[in-house]
Amino acid sequence: MKHSVNRPPTPDAADDQGKEPTLQEIINIKLIESGEKERLMELLRERLMECGWKDEMKALCRAYIKKKGRNNVTVDDLVHLITPKGRASIPDSVKAELLQRIRSFLVSAAL
Amino acid sequence: MCARNSLYTNIKPCKHLADYKLRRGFNGYNSLQNCLKTTRYGRSRVDKHDTTIPRCSFCNGYQGRLYKCLMCSSISCSSHVLLHTQSENGHEVAFDIDRSELYCCLCCDQVYDPDFDKVVVSKQVRDLPGGKSNGFEVCSGRSSKRRRLDSGIELDLKKSKQLISMRDRRAKSCYPLGLRGLNNLGSTCFMNSVLQALLHAPPLRNYFLSDRHNRDQCRKRSGEKLCLLCDIDAISSAMFSGDRTPYSPAQFLFSWWQHSSNLASYEEQDAHEFFISVLDGIHEKESKVRNSSKDDGDCQCIAHRAFSGLLRSDVTCITCGFTSTTYDPCIDISLDLEANNFSSSHVANKPIKTDEKMGLSTLSGCLNLFTRAERLGSDQKLYCQNCQELRDSSKQLSIRKLPLVLCLHIKRFEHSLVRKMSRKIDQYLQFPFSLDMTPYLSSSIVRSRFGNRLFAFEYDNSDSSAEYEIFAMIAHSGMLESGHYVTYLRLKNQWYKCDDAWISEVDEGTVRASQCYMLFYVQKMLYYKSNEDLSCMRISPRRDPCVSTAGCC
Repeated sequence: MKHSVNRPPTPDAADDQGKEPTLQEIINIKLIESGEKERLMELLRERLMECGWKDEMKALCRAYIKKKGRNNVTVDDLVHLITPKGRASIPDSVKAELLQRIRSFLVSAAL
Repeated sequence: MCARNSLYTNIKPCKHLADYKLRRGFNGYNSLQNCLKTTRYGRSRVDKHDTTIPRCSFCNGYQGRLYKCLMCSSISCSSHVLLHTQSENGHEVAFDIDRSELYCCLCCDQVYDPDFDKVVVSKQVRDLPGGKSNGFEVCSGRSSKRRRLDSGIELDLKKSKQLISMRDRRAKSCYPLGLRGLNNLGSTCFMNSVLQALLHAPPLRNYFLSDRHNRDQCRKRSGEKLCLLCDIDAISSAMFSGDRTPYSPAQFLFSWWQHSSNLASYEEQDAHEFFISVLDGIHEKESKVRNSSKDDGDCQCIAHRAFSGLLRSDVTCITCGFTSTTYDPCIDISLDLEANNFSSSHVANKPIKTDEKMGLSTLSGCLNLFTRAERLGSDQKLYCQNCQELRDSSKQLSIRKLPLVLCLHIKRFEHSLVRKMSRKIDQYLQFPFSLDMTPYLSSSIVRSRFGNRLFAFEYDNSDSSAEYEIFAMIAHSGMLESGHYVTYLRLKNQWYKCDDAWISEVDEGTVRASQCYMLFYVQKMLYYKSNEDLSCMRISPRRDPCVSTAGCC
């Protein structure tokens, strides 16, 4: 049996169970409730497609699948493979735009 | 492109998903559909009605991929989903909350299931603007540009909605397209059984599916109200529509009654007689349409193009050895069952198989019997051209030209003129799924009669067209007066039993064990080709919604 692969770390939330939610969590809840998160996700998708990031990732996956054979690759393998590369190759401009959007949201939500 | 298509259909669910579906059926999917929500951007995700954020039940985390177990609806994040599977037996398949995709925790992989996708896509279509009244509210609040975009989506959606409903009906069962029960209209199983076989005969199926007989045009052209071909066409489109509810071929029955009024009654008829009469009807109608007065050459009607072969009959005068040869067209071959006490010495030139000696009837035995030289009785003296008088003679049949679709009829109903009674022969007959007709061709028969002489090769058709594959078999069970006909269809190497309105999957053993009455073989090349065609047809409706969703990602 294949075991779960190395994944991006999840926040260590075990100890703050039952405690007051952290600031990060509050922001996240606000983002979701207002529907802003959905909009941000869509914006991010659009930007990543525009700048060719998505194609780049696709090419990486294709090359990997070709190397390993179509039947020997799982989606977990692919996630594991492209996560570090994908994170590193997101253009700074996209990050900046998103950050700006989140900032202005927070201001408007007057947290 | 074909290769890609076949890849698409060949995706097998992993065994965990298959297990899940076996245990739970579609219940899980359907309840999941209710909590799916389509976002403004055309994505489906799980929407909890309360505002709480879905969290992993292990670590309480809410980031990354979250999976909802299909069995118990508990939510785990990607690092704990395996833990959940290990702690709960049978909870292998989970549902990606953000993406509405299936994930098998044991395979660590995304899994695909057309039925699941159908559930998601149909929900998506229902939710998007245009489908429901709230869509207009959303539109009105936006700029005109957006509205135009929406109406574009709307149009697309209408199209895809149709596609989905079409796919919906086609994909409802995993049986190949074209399998649909026919209702019994009162002792009409003889008709249903033959129709099933006829409509799945590759040449006929292709003929009707490619709209070679157009109902509207036919009505315009001939002005007749009743047309046997139109009604078969109607049945054919009903069978291949993807709808699986049994169909009632009442209009056809009526037309057929008009065509052969001598058989019009509520009584059970002989399936073989019906078969002949239907082919006759098709031929009559088509030659009328073609308006061809040329009776020479081969008839180009679909019935004859598919079924007609040529029999050669050699009558040899025993006194002088003069042989006169005649050729007769045939649309099927009626075979006598070998008697059980059939002595093997009669098959002079043929290799005798051991099972024939055991008294087990085989199809090859029947064909041997059919093509063996037969001494005509003294009361049947024939005029010999050479001796210029009536002589004792012997007759031998062989097949000069094989048809595309070979219909073999086993004479199970014996009519004795002497005793003035009929009876049914319940003898078991063994038949092969792949049949080589080479030994019964005229070339082989003549060669075996004369040895390797040069002139014996004049009809040397040594192409591979003598190899046949079975695609349908009509079995008769019961007595002479009160029997029942059932058709076994072989599609993609799987046998299906068509018992009037009921279609079921059966294994080879069941087919071999039943009492065959009519056997339908098709040339091997055509059998494999037609199966390929079918698989292509099966994909096309599925492929389209896929393309349309791909545009959204």
